[in-house]
Amino acid sequence: MLDITISRGTTVALPKTEFDLLLADLRENGYQTVGPRVQDESIVYTDIQTLADLPRGVQTEQDAGRFRLVQGASNNYFDFIPGADSWKKFLFPPRVELFTVRKGKGWEYAEAEAATPRYALIGVRGCELAAIEIQDKIFIRPDFYDPTYRLRREGLFIIAVNCLHPAGTCFCASMGTGPKAQGSYDLCLTELDDVFLVEIGSELGRSLLAKRKYDLPSAFVQNIANQRLSRAAQEMGRVLDTSDLPGLLTEPENLEAAHWDEVAKRCLSCGNCTQVCPTCFCWDATDSVNLNATRASRTRVWDSCFNPAYSHVFGGNTRPTIRARYRQWLTHKFGAWKEQFGTLGCTGCGRCITWCPAKIDHVAEIAALRKEVNP
Amino acid sequence: MTSLLPQSAPPTAGHPGKLIQPDWAEIVRITPETEGISTFWLRFIDPQVRERYRFQPGQFNMLYLPGYGEAAISMSSDPEDEERLVGHTVRFVGTVTKNIGRLKVGDVIGVRGPFGTSWPMKQIEGRDLVLACGGIGLPPLRPAIYHIIRNREKYGKVTLLYGARTPKDLMYPEEHEEWKSHDISMEISVDRGDENWDGRVGVVPMWFYNFRIDPRNTAVLTCGPEIMIRFVIYEGLARRIPAERIFVSLERNMKCGQGSCGHCQIGPYFICKDGPVFPFSVLQRYVNVEEY
Amino acid sequence: MANPEVIAELKKIPWFGTLSPEHLEKLAEITTLRAVRAGETLFKEGDKQDYVYIVLEGRVALEIFVPHRGKVRIYTCEQHDVFGWSSVTPLVRQRTAGATAVLNGRLACMDAEKLRQICDEDRDLGYLVMRRLANVVASRLMVTRLQLIDMFAHPEEKNA
Ligand code: SF4
Ligand code: SF4
Repeated sequence: MLDITISRGTTVALPKTEFDLLLADLRENGYQTVGPRVQDESIVYTDIQTLADLPRGVQTEQDAGRFRLVQGASNNYFDFIPGADSWKKFLFPPRVELFTVRKGKGWEYAEAEAATPRYALIGVRGCELAAIEIQDKIFIRPDFYDPTYRLRREGLFIIAVNCLHPAGTCFCASMGTGPKAQGSYDLCLTELDDVFLVEIGSELGRSLLAKRKYDLPSAFVQNIANQRLSRAAQEMGRVLDTSDLPGLLTEPENLEAAHWDEVAKRCLSCGNCTQVCPTCFCWDATDSVNLNATRASRTRVWDSCFNPAYSHVFGGNTRPTIRARYRQWLTHKFGAWKEQFGTLGCTGCGRCITWCPAKIDHVAEIAALRKEVNP
Repeated sequence: MTSLLPQSAPPTAGHPGKLIQPDWAEIVRITPETEGISTFWLRFIDPQVRERYRFQPGQFNMLYLPGYGEAAISMSSDPEDEERLVGHTVRFVGTVTKNIGRLKVGDVIGVRGPFGTSWPMKQIEGRDLVLACGGIGLPPLRPAIYHIIRNREKYGKVTLLYGARTPKDLMYPEEHEEWKSHDISMEISVDRGDENWDGRVGVVPMWFYNFRIDPRNTAVLTCGPEIMIRFVIYEGLARRIPAERIFVSLERNMKCGQGSCGHCQIGPYFICKDGPVFPFSVLQRYVNVEEY
Repeated sequence: MANPEVIAELKKIPWFGTLSPEHLEKLAEITTLRAVRAGETLFKEGDKQDYVYIVLEGRVALEIFVPHRGKVRIYTCEQHDVFGWSSVTPLVRQRTAGATAVLNGRLACMDAEKLRQICDEDRDLGYLVMRRLANVVASRLMVTRLQLIDMFAHPEEKNA
C-alpha cells in the first residue's frame, strides 16, 4: 500500500482487480452486496458477489417503448443504462409486512421475525441517488418516519457510478441530477479501461478503501475521465425544458387542456410508468388473517395512481377516466410535488418512457402541452 | 409547508414515530343511530394513551379491524367528554365498516390518530356561524356543536342547516331540542317527506336563500356529499361570504393518515394531513377541474 | 280600488317592494287574502282551479300521490315562496301536484286568469311578473335536480 493520506473528497485510482476484495470486505462487515446483473433480457438489481456477475461490455439501446441489450466493444462493467428495476425495491419493498397481531384477551403485537437487511448498493447512478434523496423526504420526516424505510436507509452503503454513456431516454442533465453522481454516497466510481477512479464520499468509504491497493490518478487519467463525463452531459437522449415547471402543470386552466384527451387515447392506464419510477411512493395496505382468526397481518404493497381502485371513495371513483389518472400522475410528478416536498418528483432517469408499452414520451407530452397552452 | 393551511397537531394514538401500529381500544357502548349507522364509543386500553389522547372537532381516526383493514372515521363525540370516551359514528359501507358493524360491546379495535386539521373554532370566535351539512356530514360537525354550546357566548348567531334523505334518516334527533335550547337555530329539511313530516322538504343549500345573514361577519362550516358542499359554496359566495371564511371538510381515499401513501391528494394537498378541513380559498382553484 | 290590507301585506314581500305604486295597485286588485289551517288541502292534483299563491305565513307542502307509497311530499313552500305558478304559464292545463297546508298560516291568492290578462295588457308589468316567475321556476328546477341526484342515498345503492 502506498503511503498516501486519503480523506473525503480524495480521488484514487483503484485497479479493477481490487474491486472484488472490496465487495468481499463489505460482506464480511455484514452487508449484502447488490448490484446489476443481466437477467430476463434486461438488467436487474440483485445479489452479486464479484465483478464477474456484472453485465460486462453490455450496452443498452433505449427509446420510447424500447429496451435492448447489445454487446459493446469495450469490456467495461457500467456501460449500460439501468433497466426497469430500481433501488427503490430495497428501501421501500414492493411487498412488506407492517405488523402481525395475535388474539389474546384483546389483540397484541407479535414480535417482528425478520431482521432488517443491510444492503451495499453497487453502481448507483446520479439520477438514482437523487431518487433516494427524494424518497427520504417522503418517508423520513421531522414529525414521523416510516420504520421499514428508515432502518434500511440508515444501514445503507452506497457505491455510486458516474454515467459515461447515456441512453436515448435519459434527461438527467435537464433535471440536474446527473450524469455525474452528486449527493450522499460512500464511494463514487468513474470507470476507465483498467481502473476505477474512486472518489471518497464518507468516512466509512474511506476506511474500506484504505485496505485496498490504489494509486493516485495521474492528471492525464483524470483529464480523460472529466472529458468523458462532460461529453456524456452533451449526449443526453432527451432534453426537458423545466423553466416553466411546476406552474405549467399546476395552473387550473392547463388542467383542462385538450392535450390530456389526446394522451388519454394512447395511455393504457397499465401503471408501468409508476412501477418503474424510482420516486413513485404510493402504497396500499392489504390484510390477511389465519383460518381461525387468531392471527392477522397487515402488508404494504406498491400502488399506482393508474389503478382504478386508487381513487375509490365509498360510492365511487373520483378519477374514473384515463385522462384524469394520467393527468394526476404527470401533474403530481412534474408539478404538485414541488409544493409538497420542495423538489420535482422526477430525476430524468427515463424509465417511464422506455417501459411505456404505448411509447408515451412524457418529455414530449410536456412540450406538446406547453405548445397548446402558450401557442 | 404552506402557510395558508392550518397545521395539524401530531397524533397521540399510535406508536410515536411509528404511526403505522395502532393502539387498542375497547368498545364500551354502541348507539344505533339510523338504518346502517351506529356510534361506537371507545376507551383506550392503555391508561397512558387514554390520558394523552385529545382531539379537535373535525379530526378523524383510523380505526383498524385486524384481518379486515382500516377506515378513516371522524370523531362525532364531545372532545371534552368526561368519561374520556371517543365516539365514532360509522356508516356500514365497505368491508371494514360493515365488519365494525358486527362488533359488540367489549370487543377491541385498533386506533391511530387523531389526524388532520380541525374546524377553526378559535379563528371563528365572535362570528355568526352557518353549519351546513347533509347525510353523514353531521357527525363530523357534532364535536363543533358541543364546543359552541360550551362556549356559546363566544359566537354570534348560530344556524344549523341539516338535510337528510327522509325524516327517518335524521341523526341524533333526541339531541336537537337540547341544541335549540342553546340558541342554535335548526333548519332541517328532507329530500322526500311523508304526510307526517311537517318540516321542510327541499335541499339544504337552497335554504340559504331564506336567511338574512351578515356576510361581513359570517363563517360557514360545511360537510356532506361533495355535490352538496359545492352548492353550499356557490350559495355562500353568492351571499358574499369570503372564500377564506367558508370551511369545508373533504372525504377521499385515506390510507395512511400522514401524507405518505398518496391516495388522498388534491392538487398539492394531502387531505389526510393538510385537510380534511380546508378554507375554501385554498381549494378554489381546483374545484371546477373535473375528476382532479 | 284595492284593499289597503292586501297592499300592506304585499309590501312586506321583498319583490313587491321594487314595484311602482301603480303596478302594486293593479296586482293588489286581483289578490285576496286567505287563512289556512294545518292539514287543509288547497288543491289536488288534476284540479282546474286557477290561482297563484304566495305564502305570507306558515308552510305549504306540494305532494304527488304515488300508488303504494301514498302522498310523497316533494317540496315545501316557506314564507314568501310562490306556488301554483303553472297557471300563469301560457299552457294552462291542470294542477300537476297537490298542495296541503302543513302549518297554520296565511296566503295571498292571485286570480291567475286576471293576472294573465293584466300582463298581456301592460307589457311592462308583464315583463316584471314573468321575470319573477322565471326565478321561481329556476330555483324549483335547481332543487328538483339536486333531489334527482339523490345525494344522501346509501353509496352502494347508488352504484346499483
Ligand atoms: S418520472 Fe420517469 S424519468 Fe422521472 S424519475 Fe420517474 S421514471 Fe425516471
Ligand atoms: S403512460 Fe404508458 S406506462 Fe404509464 S400508464 Fe400510460 S400506457 Fe402505461
